[in-house]
Amino acid sequence: MENEKLYEITAYTENQVGLLSAVAGIFTRRSLNIEKLLVYPSRIEGIHKFKIITRTDERRVKAVVAQMEKKVDVVKAFWEVDNERSHKEKEQVEEFLARREEQNVKL
Amino acid sequence: MEDKIGTKISGAEILLEQLLFQGVDTVFGYPGGAIMPVYDKLYGYLDRLHHVLVRHEQGAIHAAQGFARVKGVPGFVMVTSGPGATNVITGVADAMIDSTPVVVVAGQVTTGLLGTDAFQETDLIGMTTPITKWSYQIRRAEDVAWAVSRAFYIAGSGRPGPVVLDFTKDAQTGLAEFKPCRCNFIRSYVPDPEVPQEAIEKAAGMINAAERPFVVYGQGVLMSGAEKELGDFLDKADIPAGSTLLGLSALPSDNPHLKGMLGMHGSIASNIMTCECDLLIAVGMRFDDRVTGKLDKYASQAKIIHIDIDPSEIGKNIPVDLGIVGDARKVLSRLTPLLDKRDRSAWECRNAECDEVERTRVSDPEIAPSEGPVNPGEVIAAVAKATHGDAVIVTDVGQNQMLAARYSRFTKPRSFISSGGLGTMGFGLPAAIGAKIGAPDRTVCLFVGDGGIQMTVQELGTVMQEKTGVKIVLLNNNWLGNVRMWQELFFGARYSCTRMLNPDFEMLARAYGIRCENVESREELVPAIERMLADDAPCILNVHVREESMVFPMIPPGKELDQIMLNAKDWYAYGK
Repeated sequence: MENEKLYEITAYTENQVGLLSAVAGIFTRRSLNIEKLLVYPSRIEGIHKFKIITRTDERRVKAVVAQMEKKVDVVKAFWEVDNERSHKEKEQVEEFLARREEQNVKL
Repeated sequence: MEDKIGTKISGAEILLEQLLFQGVDTVFGYPGGAIMPVYDKLYGYLDRLHHVLVRHEQGAIHAAQGFARVKGVPGFVMVTSGPGATNVITGVADAMIDSTPVVVVAGQVTTGLLGTDAFQETDLIGMTTPITKWSYQIRRAEDVAWAVSRAFYIAGSGRPGPVVLDFTKDAQTGLAEFKPCRCNFIRSYVPDPEVPQEAIEKAAGMINAAERPFVVYGQGVLMSGAEKELGDFLDKADIPAGSTLLGLSALPSDNPHLKGMLGMHGSIASNIMTCECDLLIAVGMRFDDRVTGKLDKYASQAKIIHIDIDPSEIGKNIPVDLGIVGDARKVLSRLTPLLDKRDRSAWECRNAECDEVERTRVSDPEIAPSEGPVNPGEVIAAVAKATHGDAVIVTDVGQNQMLAARYSRFTKPRSFISSGGLGTMGFGLPAAIGAKIGAPDRTVCLFVGDGGIQMTVQELGTVMQEKTGVKIVLLNNNWLGNVRMWQELFFGARYSCTRMLNPDFEMLARAYGIRCENVESREELVPAIERMLADDAPCILNVHVREESMVFPMIPPGKELDQIMLNAKDWYAYGK
């Protein structure tokens, strides 16, 4: 495929049993091969982080990230072309969680 | 409930207390080894929880789906481990693709036996992860109330869907203090996204600038309770609309803006207007391939606005000019005040010519033939007339479904229940049972073929035991009709394995103590329908319909929406 390149997908998640297979299933269903996978505690307390490198095109990487975010225990997911990373994700997740906490207080 | 709060009770009893706290009053279920502690406790709760004993677990989940769809609350299913759990999987997948809120509790072996291939152990979480919104294994009595409250919150909020709880036997028997749990917040899950005002304003600008806007709406309108808001939106700006299969009954059939159902067997007008509009506004729908036909040609002349609560649907199948992620009712109620009041009557009347062709070439010959065998569409139109469009219509899958969608009439929302995305044959009978239990004061009428009814025919036992007053209209043609039709049209009339030798349905009905009438001729049809509707008892109408029945109009799979077959030979002469 001409438009295929390596994409890096990052997901910030709750630390839940079974989430790895749920995330892997999203790739399997679309016949996407995972080139590299890292799962580890993020620098945000209590939040885990997935880093996945996959070769695909932009339309599909967007769909995969949307499906990942749809999982109840995924806080946020991002995609970037592998060599153009912006490293602003942690701040975005922290901002998201702070906003959610405010909304929780309002409920 | 009060006397249980703060005292140590078993996980099984906590489940039942928490169900009552959630407002659950009906359980569709089937007992078995790994769920027996819960069934034992249920014995003391049967005055508060109505347990419907189905005849197969697939029946339980489809009944819960029918119940959920008619009431707008999650249906509840309880089954045992192993085969009990695997038997609900078709329904879980069905509920996922059709966004139906159901919570399934399945028994599981004791935690110490997990992973040992114990008797009736299956990896239910592994099997249901791709087809649920959430699936979770409860391993401790302390977690029961939390897990159940979270399950109901997830199933019923946002874009609804199924949740599976795998309940180990030791968590059922273990003791814990019961505190009712209410879940209305999960930090990683945003069921009702906020819509920025700029997006609303941008949409209003696009709509006000459009000459030929067209609305395509789906079940999201029903799920968000946006029926009135959609009507007001269409009235204010004078915009025509088409409905998806699952959106049917969101607008009453006589709404002047409604141009019919979209897609493969939809109205000519709604498909042609999709091809001619300059702005397509999609509300609470997901551009299924049965709606779009050939994707790259779908409304390619138009700008597209897509309003849906599920962000992953925006741009999934169709690139859009503006995506709005939000609840249909909230978005429409903010959008309508910004719309210019317009008279678009010339565009609104675009359907007249299409409708005339459809009526004379397709509908009249189907529903009002002068001679020959009874047509299935004729039966559906006669039931619509006899019920004044007030009934809940449940369908199975196939020709019965498409014809019911085309020829039923609706006056109230949540009146059309059908398996759309998964297309599950056998859905109809149990779903109708659940719908009648959920809406006991309404007439619930099932249209089902001779193939589909035999996939879950054992649920006649549930009808018998529960005395569920479903009206079962069996459109009996001794074929797997829809596949036979495709064989005739697309596979050189090679009728491979679609002819059915059927049992005597009247004798079968008698075995279950259910009244049954055979209808062989046109003269018998209307009087038999009137007798069927005269009381609230279950009844089967076994109607012998035309054997080689067809469903038209039809856009063949993969074709563009303006390529419409009027019958097996003739195409709609579009643009000629």
